[in-house]
Amino acid sequence: MSEDLRAKVIEYLGKVDKTKTRDMADNLKEKKSDVDKIVKELAKEGKVEFLYIGTSYVKLVK
Amino acid sequence: MSEDKKTPLLDELEKGPWPSFVTDMKKLAEKKPAVKDVLDQLELSYAEKKGHWKHGGIVGVTGYGGGVIGRYSDKPEEFPNVAEFHTMRINQPSGWFYTTDALRDILKTWDKFGSGLTNMHGATGDIILLGTTTQNLQPAFNEFSEKGWDLGGSGSDLRSPSCCVGPARCENACIDTLDICYNLTQEFQDELHRPMWPYKFKIKVSGCANDCVASVARADFSIVGTWRDTLNIDQAEVRAYANNGYDIKGMVVEKCPSNALEWDGKTLSIKSEECVRCMHCINKMPKALSVGQEKGATILIGGKATILKSAFLSWVLVPFMKMEPPYDEVKDLLRKIWEWWDENGKMRERVGELIYRKGMRVFLRDIGLDPVPQMVAAPRANPYFFWWPEEINK
Ligand code: HEM
Ligand code: HEM
Ligand code: SF4
Ligand code: SF4
Repeated sequence: MSEDLRAKVIEYLGKVDKTKTRDMADNLKEKKSDVDKIVKELAKEGKVEFLYIGTSYVKLVK
Repeated sequence: MSEDKKTPLLDELEKGPWPSFVTDMKKLAEKKPAVKDVLDQLELSYAEKKGHWKHGGIVGVTGYGGGVIGRYSDKPEEFPNVAEFHTMRINQPSGWFYTTDALRDILKTWDKFGSGLTNMHGATGDIILLGTTTQNLQPAFNEFSEKGWDLGGSGSDLRSPSCCVGPARCENACIDTLDICYNLTQEFQDELHRPMWPYKFKIKVSGCANDCVASVARADFSIVGTWRDTLNIDQAEVRAYANNGYDIKGMVVEKCPSNALEWDGKTLSIKSEECVRCMHCINKMPKALSVGQEKGATILIGGKATILKSAFLSWVLVPFMKMEPPYDEVKDLLRKIWEWWDENGKMRERVGELIYRKGMRVFLRDIGLDPVPQMVAAPRANPYFFWWPEEINK
């Protein structure tokens, strides 16, 4: 299940320049806390980075 | 090119009897061109009455979303050495206890990768290191990390928790502030380093109501030491104060905010159920009075500076909570609050503002706490509890 979501999150991030995890969770129709958990894992693996522009955004590391 | 710039306005700040940051920075500027540019840019700002720093967010180190604050000069041609001048936050130890060796070690790394300028400490509690380039961030972080330091929080995350010196130095400490602060910092590493929330969240821990870290004014979540039984009175010491001419009635009894004390010239007595544990009498007669035996903490919520709404002081959420490792009760409460705030909060809305918008009774219901009288600041002042329609027995 979490492998599934992981794939969905990576796919979503691939389609946008940057996103708030709130918006990503809403668009994927998932719980924000589940999406956040995946994003944290990806961040620790160096695959996702955070931007701070008034609030926090995440994006794939290019 | 910038060497020959003059700084007549800044030079004014070297006059007078006090230490001057301008003098310090001029000294540092001899070996750090960036510091020279900071001074020159500041001189320009003084002349024009206009700031020349730009915020920018797109800086950080691998795996972290907080701890680095992007700063750029908006006049990079004129001040090339501060074109990038980012701030790093280093998470301070509990209670800000360092050995001088540890401080030198931090400065050695900062001298290598940054401007050498520091601010000990920022409002969050962190060691603030002012001024480095985007390129130097990762190597600086790596070296700090190898030495056992970590970045603190910034942005929409948990900010570095901070606490008073507590039991290390202070007889008033009702809780082990240092351990609580350290324990919560370790527990919530994800929340600290990977910003996921509507906005920032601060935890501050004070050992007693003197609140030396001003948690009530500065933290979203304040943990303040208190006691549940009665404060200790050493009658012989009370009489010693009186014999030395101390005005117990005027300075202590009449200043008690809840009229809990009585002094008949021989004995000081207390109505414990009236005492609000404010610390006034203990502060005035520390040799005679001390905190009670059955210690714990009051948990308060919602303090913050002006952002969407005006400044708030935090208010009581849990009047008394035992505080013993591993502090599961307080951790559970924090997680519930965060979940609720994250689910309901708007961008840049602090938890206190959300409670204000949604109402305290909605907040209490959603996190599963019962309303208690201690949550009311003064009768009729904040009557935020009403029955739910389904509770009314018609
Ligand atoms: C070698 C130099 C210095 C030494 C040894 C020193 C020592 C101390 C000590 C022992 C305290 C009392 C701390 C406590 O309450 O436990 C103190 C407080 C203080 N010092 Fe210094 N100090 C030095 C330099 C300075 C300088 C240069 C400044 C200002 C630019 C300064 C500003 C203050 C202030 C404002 C407090 C009060 C802090 C408070 O009440 O929160 N000190 N200092
Ligand atoms: C005349 C020069 C400056 C003055 C008088 C000044 C004053 C202040 C004050 C009063 C604070 C609040 C500190 C606190 O509440 O603990 C602060 C925070 C801060 N300053 Fe400055 N500042 C100066 C220059 C700079 C420069 C040159 C930078 C960076 C390029 C900078 C970056 C920051 C940052 C990042 C904070 C936030 C620290 C925190 O909240 O933890 N400041 N400054
Ligand atoms: S808050 Fe209380 S316990 Fe902590 S240092 Fe101040 S007086 Fe002591
Ligand atoms: S702690 Fe405060 S409220 Fe309690 S008796 Fe002393 S002065 Fe009064």
